[in-house]
Order: sequence, then structure tokens, then C-alpha cells
Amino acid sequence: MNLGISMFFERYKKIIVAFILIVLLFALGGIIVPNFLTVEQVLFTLKLASFTALFALCQMIVIAAGGSGLDLSVGYAATLTAVLTASVMDGQNANLGAAILIALALGSAIGLANGALVSFLELPPLVVTMAMANILQGIVNAYTAGRNITGRPSPILATLAAKSTGKFPNILFILFTITVLVMIVLNKTKWGTILFGVGSNETTAYLSGINVKAVRCVVFVISGILASLTGLLLIGNMGIAFKDMASNYVMPSIAAVVVGGVSLTGGDGNYIGVILGAIFLQALTNLLIAFGLGDAGKWLAFGIVLYVLLSFYASDRRSR
Amino acid sequence: MNKNNQNSSRPALSNYVFRPEFSSLLILIVMFTITAILQENFFTLKSIVRNINAFAPLILLAMGAAVVIISGGIDLSAGSALSLFTCVLTTVMKKSDPITGVYAILVTLAVAILVGVVNGFGIGYLRIPPVIVTFATSYIWLGIGLFLRPTPGGESVEWFRIFYNPGMIEGIHPYIKQFGRVIPPALILILAACLIWFIVSKTRIGRHIYAVGSNSESAYASGINTAKVQMQACIINSIFIFLAALFFVGQNQSGDARMGDPLTLRAIASAIVGGVAISGGKGSVYFALVGALILNFVNKIIFFADISTAYQTLVSGLIVIIAIAAPVAYTLYSKE
Amino acid sequence: MIVLEAIGIKKNFGGVVALSNANLRCYQGRITGLLGANGSGKSTMSKIICGVYQADGGEIKYKGRTVRYRSPSEARKDGIAMVFQNLSLVADLTVWQNIVLGKEESNGIFLNNDSAKELSRKILAQLLPDLDINKKVSQLNPGEMQIVEIAKAISQNPQLLILDEPTAALEQAQVKNLFDCMRALAKEGVAMIFTSHRLWEVMEICDDVTIFRNGENVATIDFEKDEKDPEKIISYITGDTQKTKVEKKHVAVTDETILSIKNLNYGKSLKNVSFDLKKGEILGIGGLAGQGQLELMHALAGAFHSLHCDAELRGKKIKLNRPLNAIKEGIVFVPGDKQLEGLFLKRSVLFNMIFPKMGLPGHPSFIPYDEYRRECEEIVEVLSIKTPTVDVPVENLSGGNQQKVVVGKWLPFDINVLLLADPAKGIDVGAKRDLYQYIVNQVQEKNTSVILYASDNEELVEYCDRVLIMYEGQIVASLEGGDINQDTIIACSMRLR
Repeated sequence: MNLGISMFFERYKKIIVAFILIVLLFALGGIIVPNFLTVEQVLFTLKLASFTALFALCQMIVIAAGGSGLDLSVGYAATLTAVLTASVMDGQNANLGAAILIALALGSAIGLANGALVSFLELPPLVVTMAMANILQGIVNAYTAGRNITGRPSPILATLAAKSTGKFPNILFILFTITVLVMIVLNKTKWGTILFGVGSNETTAYLSGINVKAVRCVVFVISGILASLTGLLLIGNMGIAFKDMASNYVMPSIAAVVVGGVSLTGGDGNYIGVILGAIFLQALTNLLIAFGLGDAGKWLAFGIVLYVLLSFYASDRRSR
Repeated sequence: MNKNNQNSSRPALSNYVFRPEFSSLLILIVMFTITAILQENFFTLKSIVRNINAFAPLILLAMGAAVVIISGGIDLSAGSALSLFTCVLTTVMKKSDPITGVYAILVTLAVAILVGVVNGFGIGYLRIPPVIVTFATSYIWLGIGLFLRPTPGGESVEWFRIFYNPGMIEGIHPYIKQFGRVIPPALILILAACLIWFIVSKTRIGRHIYAVGSNSESAYASGINTAKVQMQACIINSIFIFLAALFFVGQNQSGDARMGDPLTLRAIASAIVGGVAISGGKGSVYFALVGALILNFVNKIIFFADISTAYQTLVSGLIVIIAIAAPVAYTLYSKE
Repeated sequence: MIVLEAIGIKKNFGGVVALSNANLRCYQGRITGLLGANGSGKSTMSKIICGVYQADGGEIKYKGRTVRYRSPSEARKDGIAMVFQNLSLVADLTVWQNIVLGKEESNGIFLNNDSAKELSRKILAQLLPDLDINKKVSQLNPGEMQIVEIAKAISQNPQLLILDEPTAALEQAQVKNLFDCMRALAKEGVAMIFTSHRLWEVMEICDDVTIFRNGENVATIDFEKDEKDPEKIISYITGDTQKTKVEKKHVAVTDETILSIKNLNYGKSLKNVSFDLKKGEILGIGGLAGQGQLELMHALAGAFHSLHCDAELRGKKIKLNRPLNAIKEGIVFVPGDKQLEGLFLKRSVLFNMIFPKMGLPGHPSFIPYDEYRRECEEIVEVLSIKTPTVDVPVENLSGGNQQKVVVGKWLPFDINVLLLADPAKGIDVGAKRDLYQYIVNQVQEKNTSVILYASDNEELVEYCDRVLIMYEGQIVASLEGGDINQDTIIACSMRLR
């Protein structure tokens, strides 16, 4: 079935490319840097990439709904959650339930605010979520002003996020479970179809009876909730909460979506590609650190590689 | 069948009120008034000059951001570029040799144009989404900046202070010193930027920047080289950032590879508050100046009202939302 | 004098042959019509001539020289201009800024705005004298936008002007102005290529006609020498002598009123629209373009949230403030702009077909793909949709087949009222015939009621039991029986009767 195979390659072209690139990166690292290609190192890279991948899931869902969707507030949503729940958990498992409830409430509130402004007032998502990030940052700053954030995460979180079972970082299990769930929901359920329809063509979706505004609002709520829960995992991983703990994940989460081949205009959503994108970015960063280039060389190379990679990815947009 | 022609040549008041520029002016007047009330010596010359100096960098970056956004792009590498330019300036200059100041300006200007070309190439020719490509280039500028200046420092010639406060230069002619007291160089840099934009807006490039930002497909179909136009917008932005770098080095006599980071998002926010549409094709570069003033006044108000500086970002975030929501909410309200 | 000669043009698009052997001649001061079904290659031909595409084979001679344009700008420099369908206007710029866009004049480096405004006024004086050139294009209606597009092309002082379906968005009065303008240009020696799906327009304005089919030109008719025979032209276009008329052995409409609309108001577009629809009836909506017909169709489909209207389906009150409410009552909508409103272009035929089911309450969380795939394949059969599989992205299908997908997605539903908003617009004759055949069958077999808006009066005459004429958002006439003919429709549309 030639048509089938060629169509398969068409659709998954970018994912295949991402996968090959990752293999190349690891191979390169393995050759040049001692110990780069050990199982521990690879798993460590995957572990770090998991957090980016979780934030990237937030982005992917928002982006998939179309309308130039983007969520720049995921970083501070996670940070605020971590900061607020740190003292609630206080190092006890008993309080984890309360912490989770707080995370859910906070994430929903943030997402609802974002969603209402974007969907019902039709304000641009880039600006709204950027402003929301500022607002959340202000709250974090005000809350932590002058005092250190005391409070340790519940041990369960530390186990899930920081520790490993044997050689396998536990967070990879979480990521795997989430991936399976996400792929099933997106591809096999009506909600996935509705999401892709709304992102593909909102007018057609609307005339087919879908409440487009509600969908576009709900995706922000989902993003907010996911970001907040990821905040719990972050504090579990790091052991403490601090002001900038998630800021460095925001832009890479968007980059992971692009590198993963998901269209920024919406209607598309292959989480596996996005995860590969996150892994690629993390592997690249680790490789550059391992090269011993120091900060200057590391960032310069990172920027150049990303720029070059993007120029190939965007090639199909160039044909007129 | 054309009934809408009747009153179109006479601008109705409602045409103005719904525009985002109107609400930004309102907000500016409010912020200005509150600041004037809170700051006792607000209307003294010394205080005005100090305020202009404090506001100048954001104003210049905001105007540059506006140009790029109007052309349909966005520049997340503005802060890194600013840092890079300060590093280049302070690396080329040698304190002992005044002529190196001139070399530094020329070299940095060339670097600025190159920065604009690289950004513009990615946005215009490679058609990479601007958010991502300028995210990538921000690391390139950071890397080069760190390479030149691993730690803040570097050298500057004495006469570079002319970009900040001529009075600080030894042996300067008293007239120039007096002039610099009343008209701070920062203001001249801002006026220079305004002049540049004034000229550009009256030329083909200016018209095409709006056309490409509004609808790049149509612009292309009309024979406009859209990639070139977007690159030109990025270059103009770079030049504005370059002016800000001159100011910084004039003020601090040193370069720093990370100093510009906080300014990037604030510059974009300023443009938005000033009424530039994030989708492109609409808005005024001069009103981005208004937006920058608003955000600056907000910080001043927080400072003088003795509110913790922790609230700065919170308030500026709220201002942005109010600024963009106000015209929409007003339109919706008046439709009912 | 021959201005343009295209000989043996070939063009492929990634394996699909658009033109295999196309020939065309355009003469100075003459208007040449291009006719042909969608996919016949006539649109590709126009685009090659003006530089949007490059030919893969053959030769184009412009004013005697062999040329090969790599972009519209190159063709423009040589004096060839093409009017697109609203593809080259910038919404945020004003009318005059758009007209000179890309070729602004300047004094030194500064733009010369006065000369631009002067030029715009001059050109628009003939086409649309009342238009305020300082208005932003975003404030214009579609007809005005099309006129500005045309003005823009004319402002380039072309020697060859290509007009690709320029009348699609225009009303009768504007079409008349356009034709006057074209005749004036012809007198000045401008050569023109004109395409339209409305046969009567081509026969009125063109001096000769070249007909395309399957990538080559199959006939050229010179209206000065030969007579204007529509049947013959149609047979050239479709390639068979089979008549395009659909068999309409239409049974008498029943007496039962299935839909009753009273006092439908929507903003400024629709005023006090009231009518009844009988079961089994095909009700036509006619009138000049832009009189509210599309708005009415959208309103009935539930697209307007703030709609005010008393609607009853089989005597039961219903609400039309959401598309979902309309769909639940069996009122389904086939929009005219299929690409914009009816399809998810990058998605498969299967995805498009099953999508409307998703919004229905009670739909299972997990999609029963096996069952839906079978159903979809059946529909593809019934409607003769030409596609290799149901997994092919809809954008790969031709216009007519795309429209069939838009109709097909509603087939599994219990349709009470089928709303068709200009379903045959821009579709080739063959697909149009299939579509209308299917619709008429539905009406006959299942007594489905249809409300049909058609911009081409022929369709109204052909298929409708009753026709409502709209003018400025109101229904001004109701035609039945013998009154349903071109003359009466046009007369009522223009309020002459």
C-alpha cells in the first residue's frame, strides 16, 4: 500500500527527524565525551527533559486549540503553587492531599482567568499570559518578600520526582503514563477530535455545533492545572521552593513543541513529537555543558544549533 | 447599495474613543498625575532630567519592539542584543585612546545591523515563527556577549559620557555642560529615534511595514518583498536598541552580558499598552513611547508610595491587561 | 493584433497534470473569455500567464517576444495585470493606499500621497463613484473590496488584464459598471482575459471564448462570427452531450408546514423576515448579492447568538441562537464558502465526516471508528466523491468533491430542513449536477425540505418550487409557478415589480 506508507512518512516526518537528531546527538556525545553515553547519563537527561515535556504538554494543548494560543504563565503558575504548598506540606505525606487540592484550585483559577480573557474578551493569548506571568510573579515576590520559603515537599513527591527505581528515574514512569493517557484522549475520544477541529478551523467547528469559546477557555484551564501539578513535582525534585524555580522552562516548553513538529497555528497535536523535542533540547544543553565550553560557548552553540534546526523545520512554510 | 459612505469622511468621536491609543493616553494621564502627586519634587528640573534618564532605555526598546510587532514579528532577543552592544562597545574602546570611541560606535553599529539581519532573515526569509527564532538568537547574543565580557566590565573613553551627562566630562565647554543639564542626552537619543521613525514612516519602507504586518500574503501578491521588509523592521529595531546601548555605556562606563534581560518583555508590554496590535499592521510607534512612560510611572508610583517593589511586576501585568481589555470591554458594553 | 500567444503549455503539480497542451490567443482591444470546469486548467493558465506559476513546457509569446515570468512582479513590469479574488488587499490600509500598494510613487524618498489619491479617484470614478477612498478596506463590503482589487489592477495601466471570476462578489449594478469599464479599456486597446462561471456574463461581455477541458483547450468560439449557443458551449465544457438539467419529476409539495419563521431580526442585516416552509418544498432565496441572503441562511443555522426570532418546527417552538440547537432540530447547514466554513482542510475525509456528531449530547467518549469508517465509505459511494481513500486530507480533493464532503457529513442525521447557501458556487458543472441530483432525490424520497440560496438565478429557476426575493434584509417578493423565471426574478430583485 504505497499510498499508506508515503502518507505515514508525510505525517510523521518531523518526528522521525527529531528522533534521528537525538540519536545523532547522543552518538556525538558518546564519541567525544567520556561517560556521556552511559545508561545513567542518558536516563538523567531524560529525567531533566521530563519537566520540560510536562510544561510542553500544557503548551501543546493550548496551541492545538488554535487562535495563536500560547501559555507563557505556566512557569509562574508552577512556582506559585510550589511556594504556597511548601509550608502546607511541611515535609509530611499527610498534607499531600491538601497540597494537591490547592494546586488544582490555583491552576484552575489561573487557567480560568487566562481562558476568559482570551476566549470571551478575545484578547491575544501571548499578551494575556505574559501579563498573567507578571501578575503571578508579583504574587510570588510579595509572598516571599523578606523571608525564605520554609517547608519541604511531601516525601511521596520527592520519591516521584527526584528518586529512581533501580536506575530508572520515577518521573519517567509518570511521563509515560501521561503520554499514554494523552495520546488516547487526543486520538480516540471525541474531545481530541473536537480540540483538533477547533484548532483547524474554528468557523467550521462552530457551525458544526461546537462551543468554540468554551473549548478555547477549557484548554487554558487544563494548562493551568497541569502547570500547577508540575509545580508540585518540581518542588518534589528540588526539595525546596524558590522564586525562579520554573522560569527557565517556559521558552523551552514552546521550543519543544516546535521542534516536535507540532504546528503553532493549531489543529495538530502529537505529544510523542513534543517529548522528543524536549529530549533534544535537554540533550543538546547537556552535550554543550559536557564539552566544557563554559557559559559563553554553551549558549552560543545552543542558539546556533536551534536556529539552524528551525531553518530546516520551517522549510515547508517557505514554499509559495 | 453603499450606505456606509455617508458619514465616513467626518470622523466621529466614537471612532477615536474605541481606539486603544485613547485608553493608553487616559492611563498615562492618570499615572502621570499620581506620580506628580506622590513625588514632591516632581516638577523640578533635576527630577525631570533624572526621570528622563531612567525612562529612556525602555522607551527606546519599546519603540523598536513596536516596529517589529507592526511588521508582523516579535523580538524576544531585544534585551540580549542590548547587553551584547554594551559588551562590544566596552571591548573595542580603550580608556586611554579617545579615537577608539569612534571605532567602537562604528563597529557596534555594524553589529547592530548584523543582529537585525540575522533576526530578519529568520523571520522573513526562513519564515520561522518569530517567537521561536528570536528565542534562539537571544542565546546567540548572550553567548557572544559572555565571550566578550564574562563578567561586567570593560573600558570606556571619557567622552562617551556625552550620551548620559556631558557635565561629567572634564574640561567640557561650559555651554555644552549647561545644555546637558537642561536637555539630557537621553532625550536627544529619544528624539533621534522619533526622527528616524518619522522619516521611515513617510517612505515606502514605512508603508510596507504596515502592509506586511497586516497581511503578508496580500503584500506579496502586490509585489512587495515581504522578507526584505521584515528584515528592515528588525534592523530599525536594532538601531533603536543601539541608541539605548550608547546611553547605558555613557551612564555606566561598562558592559554587561545580562543587563538587558528584564527589558525584553517590558518593551513588548509597553508597545502593547501603547496600542500596538500583537497581530501586526496596526498601531503607532510613538504610542509605544506612551506605553513605556506608563510602565515607568507605575514603577515610580510603587516606589514613592512605599509599596514593596515586589508588586512592580504584578501591577505592570495588571496594567497590560487593563490596557488591552478596556477598548474591547467598552465596545462590547456599548453594543448592548 | 495578437498581444499574447500561449502554445502547447504543460504544467504539473507534483504528479498531477493540470495542463497538457494548452493554447490561447489574446488580441489587442478584445475580451477573451476562458471557460471550463474546475480542474480544467483555465485558472492555472491565467496564473502561468501572469507569473504566479511557471510552465513546465510550451512557449508564451507576449507582444512577439518569448517570455517566462518567474513572479507576478516580472509580469507586471511587462504590462500584464491580474485581478485576484481578494487576495491582494491589505485590510488595515485605506482604499487609495491599497490601489498603489507595491508601486507607490515617491518624491525622492518620501511617498507622494496626493498623486496616489488622485489616481484612485480617477479609476474609481468609473467603477464605483461614491466610494470614500480614505476608508480602510476592513470597513468595506465584499463587493466594494472586489472593485478595489479591480481598480488596483487597472491602475497599473496594463496592456493585458486578466480578470479571474471578478463578478463572483458583485451585484448586478456593479457588474454593469465593470462591463462598461472593460469596454472602455478595450477601446483603449487593452487586451483582457475574463473568466466566470456564469455563462450569460461570458456571452455578454466577451468577444471570443476559449473552452478548457482536462488540461487542454477544446474549442474557441468567436462571437462575432459564430452564434452564441449556450448548449453547445456547455457540451464543450463537460465533454458530453448529456444535458445538465437534472430530472425533476417533482411531486407536489405537501401541505404540512414544517418550519415557521416569524419576525426574524438581526442587527441591520435582517428585518422582520417571516415565511413558512412546507414539507417537501424546495424554497429558493434570491435577490441581488449582499441583500442579507447569506445572513438569513446563517441565522437559520443558528449561527447568531443574539438573534431575535419566533421559530417553530412542526408547531413546536425552537431556539435558533446556537448552531447546536438548530442541528438538534434537524436543521443542517451547508455553507457556500466550503473552505472557510465547511471543512477542515488538512484533515481527512473521515475526520470531516464524523465531526458534526461530536457536538451532539450523548455521544460516546470513545469514538467507534470501525462503524464510522464503514458509514463514511458508504456516503462516499452514494455521493460519488472521487477520493482514493477516506484518509486522504480533504484539501487534496477538487472543489466539487470537497463540497460533496460538506453535504455528506450531514447524511447520517435525520434532516428536517436542509439549508444550502450557494452550494454550487465555483463548482464545475459535473459536480454541480451530481449535487443537485442528490438533493432532488432526497426531497422526492424522504420529503426533506430545502431552503436554497443561489447567486445564480438559473439554479433558482431550475429547482425551486417557490422563490423569496430579498432586498436590504427584507423579503420583498414571493414567486411561484410561472413567475419563477430569470426576468421576473431580476425585476423583483431590483424592485422594478
